[in-house]
Amino acid sequence: MDYLFGGLTTALKLIFTFDNEVMNCTWVSLKISSVAILLASLIGVPLGFLIGANNFRGKKTVITLFNTMMALPTVVVGLLVFSFISRQGPLGTLGLLFSPTAMIIGQFILSTPIITALSISAIQGIDPRIRTTLITLGARSYQVLLALMLEARFAIMAAVIAGFGRIIGEVGSAMMLGGNIKGYTRSITTAIALETSKGEFSLGLALGIILLTVALSVNIMLRYLQQRNA
Amino acid sequence: MDNKELQIIETTAIVHVYNGKNVLDIKPLSFTKGKVHAVLGPNGSGKTTLLNILGLLLKPTKGNVFFEGEDVYANRILINDVRTKMTTVIQNPVLFDTTVEKNIDFGLRIRGKTKEERKVIVNDCLEMVRLEGFQKRKAKELSGGEAQRVAIARALAIKPQVLFLDEFTSNVDEKSIEVLEEVIREVNYEYGNTIFLVTHDTHQAYKLADEVINLFDGRVVQSSLENLFRGRVTKTNNLSTFDTGRMNIVVVTDREGIVYAAINPRDIVISLKPLNSSARNSFHGIINKIIDDGSSVLLNLKAGEELKVKITKESFIEMKLSIGSEVYLSFKSTAVEVF
Repeated sequence: MDYLFGGLTTALKLIFTFDNEVMNCTWVSLKISSVAILLASLIGVPLGFLIGANNFRGKKTVITLFNTMMALPTVVVGLLVFSFISRQGPLGTLGLLFSPTAMIIGQFILSTPIITALSISAIQGIDPRIRTTLITLGARSYQVLLALMLEARFAIMAAVIAGFGRIIGEVGSAMMLGGNIKGYTRSITTAIALETSKGEFSLGLALGIILLTVALSVNIMLRYLQQRNA
Repeated sequence: MDNKELQIIETTAIVHVYNGKNVLDIKPLSFTKGKVHAVLGPNGSGKTTLLNILGLLLKPTKGNVFFEGEDVYANRILINDVRTKMTTVIQNPVLFDTTVEKNIDFGLRIRGKTKEERKVIVNDCLEMVRLEGFQKRKAKELSGGEAQRVAIARALAIKPQVLFLDEFTSNVDEKSIEVLEEVIREVNYEYGNTIFLVTHDTHQAYKLADEVINLFDGRVVQSSLENLFRGRVTKTNNLSTFDTGRMNIVVVTDREGIVYAAINPRDIVISLKPLNSSARNSFHGIINKIIDDGSSVLLNLKAGEELKVKITKESFIEMKLSIGSEVYLSFKSTAVEVF
């Protein structure tokens, strides 16, 4: 018990004294996941709306595909991106491997299907009379789409938050693509994996507490939005 | 000035097929600008389909729609242009999940009106539907009647040349019905908008509209469909008899078998003694309801079937009729519309 209690005390100390290493990892994690989620939202939300709002052949297959991709294993994404950006890969010359950009690419691929799939549900959840009403008021196609997004704003925010929750805590692609370089690509999750294996239990625990706090905040936000939407 | 009244919307013969069934099959129609037109008919008669075709929300399977003489489906730019001149308030309308003000000014925002212009129009429209001061109220928190009024205010805000209203008083409280009917008259009178109403309420249709179209089973029929019965026509010695199950009515028709028949309440003559006239149909009945309709009186009679009869107030007073009075009803066989 002393081992656990001692570890927890040191961990809290590390957090409240703004330990350099802890802050660094937190900053890297938040920075990379935020950029990734921003890009994924810019692509995923309009894509989800285009798929959800239009009828075309193979729509059901596309939706099933995105639903399946929501469960993409992080290491598989890591492997896939690795194979493209490693020195021998087709994009090897760009020198992206073990950089924050590589991590962003990995997390973008992980979160886009989630945001897309949940945006599809969001638009399908809108009362169809809203769309008819928009048309009767003279809205053009793009104005209809924008107004529908506004109408589904809470569900879209929930989609973005769910995507963020998925990538802030993932370790597989971050480790494989970022390379866990201290102060550069070492995120909360990759640091926890490394420090714990090195026996630096307190540091791992401190980072774990921060990660949980982030996850908790994200989920509280999600719940708040869902309740407002209800 | 040309004396001929302007036709705002005209159609060729229209057929609309839904799920393999002809839900609408009508001859060419034309509608005068600035009038209130009502489309009347029972549920499933194709009223909403016709309204959506005229309001360009639905392209008919066969047939064309003309707006001010131009074929709207001939080019895409024209449809979009015409659509901005008309609007439909759908049955059980929905409001956007925001404030009343933002609901009403949506159409104005997409038309590029300035904030000041929008504010003035929103205020005017709310005043028109008697919901002054509702600007900041959340749409979700309104009652059914209030929401319907906001939906109509939202439609009025864009100052449409043509306003389509689908069952605009269904699920609405009595007070809101009164307000809304008043709004329709006001909008038509003050701004000269052409208005189309879809309703199953005969009274409302004739009260508000200048012209009434009666739809039944996807077709336009001549009279208002009161005294409507379903039954069987049989022919004996060149005489067609329509049997409702409770009454046998002499009719003029080429059809046989199961048909519908309607008798205009104005075509039935009431007398205290049997009439010696050319009318082929004469029945004995008892009055069970009397409705004062202004200049005329609507009587409900039990004569095998329940029949509605419309007579002038003078005749009503002269005959000293009251509930329970026994009378004789006569109508010509040609007064019965069979379809």
